[in-house]
Amino acid sequence: MGRKGFHPAFFTLCLGAFFLLLAGRGDDSEMVGRKPPPLWKTLKYPPLPAFDIPHPRRIPLSNGMLLLLLEDHEFPTVDIEVRIRTGSIYEPADKVGLAGITATVMRTGGTKSISGDELDEDLESIAASLEVGIGQESGFASLSVMKENLGEGLKYLSDVLRNPAFPEDKIALAKIQAKSSISRRNDSPSGIAFREFAKLIYGKNHPLARHTEYQTIDSITRDDLIAFHRRYFKPNAMILGAWGDFDTDDLVKKIEEAFAGWEPGDVNFPPIPPIVAPSGPAVYHVEKEDVNQSNLRMGNLGFRMDDPDYFPLSVWYEILSGGFAGRLFATVRAKKGLAYSVGAGMGASYLYPGILAASAGTKSESTLEAISSILEEFQKMLNGEFNEEDIRYAKESLLNSFIFNFDTTGEIIQRQLTYEYYGYPADFLERYREGIVKATKAEMLSAARRKVHPESFIFLTVGKSTDFDKPLESLGYGPPTMLDISIPQD
Amino acid sequence: MKNFWKVAISFFIVVLIGASYTEYESRVVEFTLSNGLKMLVLDRGEAPVFTFRTYADVGGVDEAMGETGLAHLFEHMAFKGTSTIGTRNYREEKKAIRAMEEAYQAYRDAVQRKADPDTVQHLQEEFLKLRAKADSYAVTNEFDRIIEENGGVSLNAFTTSESTQYFYALPSNRLELWAVLESERFADPVLREFYRERDVVLEERRLRTESSPFGRLAEEFDAAAFKAHPYGRPVIGHRADISTVSLTQAQAFFKKYYGAKNLVIVVVGDVDPDEVKRLAEKYFTRIPPGEDPPPVVTQEPPQNAERRVILFDVAQPQLFIGYHTVEFVHPDRPAIQALASILGSGRTSRLYQRLVKQEKIATGVSVFSGTPGNKYPGLLEISATPVKGKTAEALEPLIYLEIQKIQDEGVTPEEVKRFQTRAKASFIRGLSSNFGLSGQLAFFEVITGSWHNLFREPEKIMQVTPADVQRVARQYLKESNRTVAFIRTVPKGGK
Repeated sequence: MGRKGFHPAFFTLCLGAFFLLLAGRGDDSEMVGRKPPPLWKTLKYPPLPAFDIPHPRRIPLSNGMLLLLLEDHEFPTVDIEVRIRTGSIYEPADKVGLAGITATVMRTGGTKSISGDELDEDLESIAASLEVGIGQESGFASLSVMKENLGEGLKYLSDVLRNPAFPEDKIALAKIQAKSSISRRNDSPSGIAFREFAKLIYGKNHPLARHTEYQTIDSITRDDLIAFHRRYFKPNAMILGAWGDFDTDDLVKKIEEAFAGWEPGDVNFPPIPPIVAPSGPAVYHVEKEDVNQSNLRMGNLGFRMDDPDYFPLSVWYEILSGGFAGRLFATVRAKKGLAYSVGAGMGASYLYPGILAASAGTKSESTLEAISSILEEFQKMLNGEFNEEDIRYAKESLLNSFIFNFDTTGEIIQRQLTYEYYGYPADFLERYREGIVKATKAEMLSAARRKVHPESFIFLTVGKSTDFDKPLESLGYGPPTMLDISIPQD
Repeated sequence: MKNFWKVAISFFIVVLIGASYTEYESRVVEFTLSNGLKMLVLDRGEAPVFTFRTYADVGGVDEAMGETGLAHLFEHMAFKGTSTIGTRNYREEKKAIRAMEEAYQAYRDAVQRKADPDTVQHLQEEFLKLRAKADSYAVTNEFDRIIEENGGVSLNAFTTSESTQYFYALPSNRLELWAVLESERFADPVLREFYRERDVVLEERRLRTESSPFGRLAEEFDAAAFKAHPYGRPVIGHRADISTVSLTQAQAFFKKYYGAKNLVIVVVGDVDPDEVKRLAEKYFTRIPPGEDPPPVVTQEPPQNAERRVILFDVAQPQLFIGYHTVEFVHPDRPAIQALASILGSGRTSRLYQRLVKQEKIATGVSVFSGTPGNKYPGLLEISATPVKGKTAEALEPLIYLEIQKIQDEGVTPEEVKRFQTRAKASFIRGLSSNFGLSGQLAFFEVITGSWHNLFREPEKIMQVTPADVQRVARQYLKESNRTVAFIRTVPKGGK
């Protein structure tokens, strides 16, 4: 179903599914009663065995760093992930790319005491990995190490976070790499669709949607990196999570040693411009001649996960687009054969409203047919065309798989890091579970009607319009706005 | 001095790892059912969950000419249910499917014999009408739905050149449900909605191959590298084959390759092996033993001339270089793996240092051994991506220089040691997830003949010497044994 084959490079491509089921099931009434029930329906399940969910120890250090530690002795390894209060949304508009390059060179450029190349050798010789990255709303540093090398690994981690050298040579390398990825950004049709759709939802200059250009990369200097690092990398702006084969008290001591002498300090974040929902309906198109499949996105601005609509809407979306049995998947893919990948996300994010959108890939010749099939499923769900059996099914799917939130120590720690970082309650997952259990049809429907607005959706198609089954005008919103995605040259 | 210390540390890790994985080996329970189905079970972990892997020893290489893509298409069909799952009325549905298939055969026959357009159109309409009737009995995706409402996660499957693998994870109190569903899927599959799924697979082909520059290049590369062995064929299938393959062909393929003797099933997680065995005997014995399908006998002839493929494309350049090597069980394989790692794995590898760090001419480089598969002799494959403004051809000579250096001067003991240390660490990390471990056990059982070999891997890796690496570099990485494929960027509407 991600269902595919080929190249090792492709191996991970198994299409993760946010996909979708079908109304009108049920046995043929004539047959019921004459036949024994199918075997799977006759099974009885014992209760799930009692399981003590492991809880991490939460330990604040005197320098303001917060630790979340969870022992797991099955294998002789230790994993550490540090969340850092920073993000690319805080970089200046004329230096987009600064956060990412700062993170890259913190790692590749080494520190004041060890060069990046020596660091590569030392780490690989002990089969350790240490990486630094900065995304839109957060930064991270991760360390993965065999347990005997934990002390050494921590020393490197601390050094990289505190004392990056930022040598010019590695800055130049990072800039070449960043510019190379700009030059390739129009090679992937789905990449174009995601990038351009974000700009349509948030506005093309908003920090949540803007992206690098050759000019913004060129304008970044070593001084910018030093200043960015100095501004955001402070112990009190970090949460360190660890899981694996260690003794908690011993690890606390090692961390305190590794980070000794690092003073806390104030971190000031530049203001983020308000998000204004785009005015729709509106249709946009990117012409791409070398493809025979259109990439479609349609939707509106989403919301934050602490919105009370989040829980009931999660159940609504499970019916529309959950797993392989959701409605979009069943109709657009299985019944009509219009797409391999199709799905919808509800656009609930931790810090800012996310993007509520459906997406699909369909042959050029069925572009408009696929769009109207997807819209039809949204409309049925908004009309309340789902019953108690659909709701029961959606809830069972969400609740019976709940145990998989706790089956590895890594995901327990990473989830707690996320809640701490965004200021969500530590028991947010438990509240989510209760919210799912309690959600009623009326709540689901009113939540959906508040958040999902097909009548003012933004539509984006990326593809070869001369092969479309119908013109985009047939959506009824006038001629599409053509988006120019050519890359501004330096 | 510094290096001495590193070597000492690596050795220590090796000894220490040795203690933990042998315990796993002793806990794997193995049994074979009366129909020949092999099962492996490992009770591990704290959380009440388990995962499984069904490994069918069939893939793209087993397809006949004109039927490429069938292994993968069947994989999709294995989610369509059974005579009791996914139907409103199986008795009627069965008749309707048969009628539809007869209509399809007549229609396809008319197309292939180039019958007059009116006849073709009439037969097509007839087929579409009967397809709609057959589809109307389907309860679409009921199989998936049962799994998901019982808390199943990571439900999926994939097909490679030589295997088809199915998996998902469930809460451990659903073990019996799993045994029922997974056995029924192969004992009594109903290939409903077949001609719709064929369209879905064509969309998958558009997504992965036709509308993706990387996919377009990979397909050309494989086809050039293998002129006789079916490793050269696309697993997804040729467009013309996917578009014309019939339900009857898919059913015959299933019958030939999905007997119990051709399946290995691995269950890992919070399960009682005795209970798994009891349920297996109750349910999985419903799968007929089937035939012993023949292996591929076609051998790729020795390559005596370099092959070059240039894809003129609007996309940015990309380079693949492949050398024919050996199958997984060949004694040279560990040394070839070491060579691949020293050349292209990690920031200290030779190609990364030269192309990315020093010359700043590539954004990335990777080297794999054992592509497209491991059952038959495959390739050592180098993939490199030029930086903005550089061509694929500009990278080539530097790659050959680095290979030459290894052939002439060999590799250092530190490089081999680093490979060994990292290989063993990733071995350990590979054991740590139920998903990874079930896949590894199935792979070693099928490809090497015994899952025990998984636990012999660290020793094999440790035996590799710098001299071995130099020897395999000389033996296999020859110019005449090389296939090169790359994208040369042209403007829109160019060549």
